[in-house]
Amino acid sequence: MKRPLHRLLTGAALATGLAVAVASCGFGSNDSADSDTTINFLAPVYSDGATGTKALWDGIIADFERQNPGLKVNLQLESWNSINDVVRTKLQSPSTTPDILNIDAYASFAGDGMLYPAAEVVSPQVLADIQPGFAKNASLDGTQYALPLFASTRTLFYNTDLFARAGVAAPPKTWSELTEAAAKIQALGDGVSGYGLPLGSEEAQGETSIWTFGAGGDWSNGGDITVDTPANLEGVRAMRTLIDANATQPNPGATDRKDVINAFIQGKVGMIEGLPPTIGQIAAKNPELKYATAPSPTKSGQPVTLGVADHLMAFKKDGRKTETIKKFLDHFYSASVYANFVKHEGFIPITQSGAAELAQDPVTKAFAATLPVAKFYPSNNPKWAAAQGAIRQQMGTIAQGADPAQVLARIQEAAK
Amino acid sequence: MLRAVPWLGPALLLIVAIVAFPVGYMLWTSTRDLSAYGQDRGPAGLANFRALFDIGELGTVLAHTVVWVVSVVLITLVLSAGLAQFLNKDFPGRTAVRMAILVPWAASVVMTTTIFYYMLDPDVGIANRFLVDIGLLDRGYGFTKQPTQAFLVAIGVAVFVSIPFTTYTILAGLQSIPAEIEEAGRVDGAGPWQRYRYLTLPQLRPAIAVATVINIINVFNSLPILQVITGSIAGFSADTTTTLTFKLIRQNQQIDTAAAMSVLNFALIVVIIAIYVKLVRPTRQVDA
Repeated sequence: MKRPLHRLLTGAALATGLAVAVASCGFGSNDSADSDTTINFLAPVYSDGATGTKALWDGIIADFERQNPGLKVNLQLESWNSINDVVRTKLQSPSTTPDILNIDAYASFAGDGMLYPAAEVVSPQVLADIQPGFAKNASLDGTQYALPLFASTRTLFYNTDLFARAGVAAPPKTWSELTEAAAKIQALGDGVSGYGLPLGSEEAQGETSIWTFGAGGDWSNGGDITVDTPANLEGVRAMRTLIDANATQPNPGATDRKDVINAFIQGKVGMIEGLPPTIGQIAAKNPELKYATAPSPTKSGQPVTLGVADHLMAFKKDGRKTETIKKFLDHFYSASVYANFVKHEGFIPITQSGAAELAQDPVTKAFAATLPVAKFYPSNNPKWAAAQGAIRQQMGTIAQGADPAQVLARIQEAAK
Repeated sequence: MLRAVPWLGPALLLIVAIVAFPVGYMLWTSTRDLSAYGQDRGPAGLANFRALFDIGELGTVLAHTVVWVVSVVLITLVLSAGLAQFLNKDFPGRTAVRMAILVPWAASVVMTTTIFYYMLDPDVGIANRFLVDIGLLDRGYGFTKQPTQAFLVAIGVAVFVSIPFTTYTILAGLQSIPAEIEEAGRVDGAGPWQRYRYLTLPQLRPAIAVATVINIINVFNSLPILQVITGSIAGFSADTTTTLTFKLIRQNQQIDTAAAMSVLNFALIVVIIAIYVKLVRPTRQVDA
């Protein structure tokens, strides 16, 4: 009687201990239903609501499954805040690694040989349909590994009411015009800021790039990360000038991008660098706002802006799902499906057929001019991630009085 | 000796599983070369620690950590001791007041902190609106937008959420003191402060010790409060070692450096507790 009981107890304790050990370290845990005809698809949420990202993908997947009986797509959506953590956890084991992933950066996966080359997972027509600049930006050492999903560039949004009240006639083309206009708007008082400068840790690299690119700077020379260069310094100094002129919202070093966009929508800011979805947000939250868009001001007035593309990528794993993945991606990139998706998310299409279909869309109209002058982050440089993190952390300190040259030197050091 | 193993076995196994294994795993990870996505690319030796000590702000971050832990724990203890003394008195509605003190503990820390954060927002926060409306400020003040101010606000919030637990621990200690001791002091003619200092406080030693050690660990490891309040502020001027670890993972994508930081963090908390136990000797018996 005694022995079996204590064996049972020991056994139970052992099992508990093991379960605790396994669970506490996040090993194990399979995603359900993993077969050759089932794709696990992990994507971030771009927009909420009845016509948001989830509804769009659900519709696309339902259509696809109707047209291809027997094939199945499991969709998992995550917020942008958590998707990097989810990806990190899932990549720990092949059984949980998604087959298709939608995220911004692809280079580290491609560099580790985990991705299919794009040519193996979409038909040649789709590949040829992608705008060349974006295809190049999705390539590593000459091989395209990722499929650009859609593009986002920046352009100057300005409040025409505030411009009229402050007596500014036209949108600024150069930095000196920008500083002057911003100072005039700030002088209106009443909690109104001239220019919304988001250098908080959310996305400081975006705003900074618009300024450094505007001085002819770049984050890479093709091989190395180049942060600490005279041109970049000029761009950062120009931001500092604007801060010192007291023509921005208070505490730019702690302001996130979403804060300045919201303040602009409420009519509290004269100018911001806006994104394609900003147009939709204004229409939804404050359709009364009187605003217009103009090319981003630069040092010389020659337009240049920041371009960002998010990507779809397919993980190779054991290579048995190639056909299923290809069918799904071809379905997604077909002109009508793709155009509908991009239109509802409010971004810019990157396929030629999609652009033709959306020629009359207000977002595409406002941003079409920015595409040819868009410059990208060097996202296929493995050291860019570290540099980008350092820019996010450090750039805002110029608003706390740090010396721009020192800040750039420190970021360069971080990207070593 | 060996005959005890079947009986101690489960407990030992549990200790190995939930203490020894994670610690060992953490030490091991800190010597690996990990990609931004957790791919193990082989041994790294001490390179992760070198990268960690290359962070120029590490010294100031350590100093912030000390200020953070010491000030939050001390302020919490002092306020809680007063509050517990008050709650130990018999007065009408005491149960309701005791319940009310529990509320900040029942709410999620992120929730509580977010409410403070929005209250203090320069544009839409009601605290700032009030200050503007009564004419004290022209425009909302960025309490949470500048490193030092935001750090002080975070200390305030941390005290606020630590008080319920500490108060209840001390209150439990107070209730276990026999009433005769207090009476004896009164009869001997000791004033209220003397009675508190020489009769009550020594009896409270175990309760205060428990509250202090648990608070030190909690406050040292606290991420959400600083993350919500100072998360968007550039630079490391409002970071503790815990939020630095978080930033290394989330912003820098340097999991391996963060692993080294975790080891340092673990060593720090062990040293802090050791110093506390050595200096204060909370387990010492009350002199009879």
